Amino acid sequence: MHLIFQIPELILEGGIIAVIGYTIVFTALLILYYTFLYLGKVLAWNTRRRLAQAGKLSHQETEIEVTGEEAAAIALAIFLCRDLHDDESDVITIKRVSKVYSPWSSKIYGIHTFSR
Amino acid sequence: MNARKKAITVFGIIALLVGLNFMVFQIPGIAEPVSNSTETINNSAPDGVGGIMGGIAKFISYTGFRNATPGHLIMIVVGLFFIFLAIKYEYEPLLLIPIGTGIIIGNIPFFQDGGINLQLGIYQEGSVLNYLYFGVVKGIYPPLIFLGIGAMTDFSSLISNPRLMLLGAAAQIGIFLTLIGALYLGFNMPEAGAIGIIGGADGPTAIFLSSKLANGGIINGVQTQNLIGPIAIAAYSYMALVPVIQPPVMRLLTSKKERVIRMKPPRSVSKLEKIIFPILGLILTTFISPGALPLLGMLFFGNILKESGVTKRLADTARNPLIDIVTILLGVTVGASTQADVFLTGGSILIFILGALSFILATAGGIFFAKVMNLFLSEGNKINPLIGAAGVSAVPDSARVVQIEGLKYDPSNHLLMHAMAPNVAGVIGSAVAAGVLMSFIM
Repeated sequence: MHLIFQIPELILEGGIIAVIGYTIVFTALLILYYTFLYLGKVLAWNTRRRLAQAGKLSHQETEIEVTGEEAAAIALAIFLCRDLHDDESDVITIKRVSKVYSPWSSKIYGIHTFSR
Repeated sequence: MNARKKAITVFGIIALLVGLNFMVFQIPGIAEPVSNSTETINNSAPDGVGGIMGGIAKFISYTGFRNATPGHLIMIVVGLFFIFLAIKYEYEPLLLIPIGTGIIIGNIPFFQDGGINLQLGIYQEGSVLNYLYFGVVKGIYPPLIFLGIGAMTDFSSLISNPRLMLLGAAAQIGIFLTLIGALYLGFNMPEAGAIGIIGGADGPTAIFLSSKLANGGIINGVQTQNLIGPIAIAAYSYMALVPVIQPPVMRLLTSKKERVIRMKPPRSVSKLEKIIFPILGLILTTFISPGALPLLGMLFFGNILKESGVTKRLADTARNPLIDIVTILLGVTVGASTQADVFLTGGSILIFILGALSFILATAGGIFFAKVMNLFLSEGNKINPLIGAAGVSAVPDSARVVQIEGLKYDPSNHLLMHAMAPNVAGVIGSAVAAGVLMSFIM
């Protein structure tokens, strides 16, 4: 017994488009992946080189990457240290105000003045 | 209300609508518009009492009550349902409110007999809605939306862990399998391509591609149906239903052990990398798939505006007022394009079924590929396969779903930042796929 399974031409064509299309999408993102994988490495190498030239990087230190969490922790620490409070002189003085008169409770402006 | 009840409500109402649609189109005569005899449209000058009566008759023949068909009423109920979903469950309210209202606007019945053009409907030349719809038909709105998305998106998580880009590529399997499914169900090649893109889970991309491939014109020698409305509605509906569709697939394809995998925290990304990414991304992706230029060009342009740091005003405009204006116009016109006589067809139902399948396949594709990647990754570098589900695009809802699912199994394992990487890669992947389909089919 022969089992003949014939795929309609249009579906076959669709299958070919699907395979090639999927491969192209994968290739595009694969190229982006490798580009940014190596770009990150090149930039890290460049940073390490500049730090070494400036004498800020010891030979033992190889890891210069900072995670987002560490960066957030450092930023919070700096904020708490510097920006949370105003700088104050800590000297509290009471100054006598030269103008002692204030009309806020003056009886001459009361409504009874105009009652007659 | 728990997710199961939500799912039952949503699918129950969809099933009811499908049933109603089936009944309407099976009973002969019921789908046809109420006949308007041309005698009532007498344009002769009024003549005394007879003229007044004729005017009243003419007015009545022009009312929505006189011209209503069951199809109009069904579509108005669908519009109300969208508004209900947006308000009650907050499913993509920024989209579902304009689309739901647009559906009501587009399905207010009016006199259309005898080829008279009152310049009211979205498909009538010269109407205000028709002018606004021009932005959909010519694919103008989607690139503008992409500009805003680009100006909003932070690609840091993707740059810090570029291998997650592959998950965004893997999830595009939904597009290509749906293409084959649509061909199998009898759609022609351009229509199948447009339907397939629903699997990209990206509304603007779906509208862009359907406006090119299934706009009712002749594409590559093949007469196509106008499927922009059904495809857009399906894409946005399923995007809104991502919290309902994805979790069961995620649970089905992953083990408990896999769901609690902790990933390495992403490294901090320098400003230089953030600037280089959109420039290189633009050049590389559009060289490979020039068809995606309108979408990816604008996406990366928006991101350059954001990351350059010197065009804050332009970036603010792109990500706030501009995208809001375009979202309003896009939502309401896409909604209005679902005029019953164009939308309520057997084809639309098939598109909805294929759309649901494509979302499931795309989710499964992303998760499965994450599991495959784990086979080659060392301990400590493994990927939590749940984040593969975010590769379907649907920014940022699918990433949010991953975070919620992850927290269910480990309340201290936050996957959101990791999931954003395949999520934005999915946007790039679906745009590239759209470009590829255009170049193959057009």
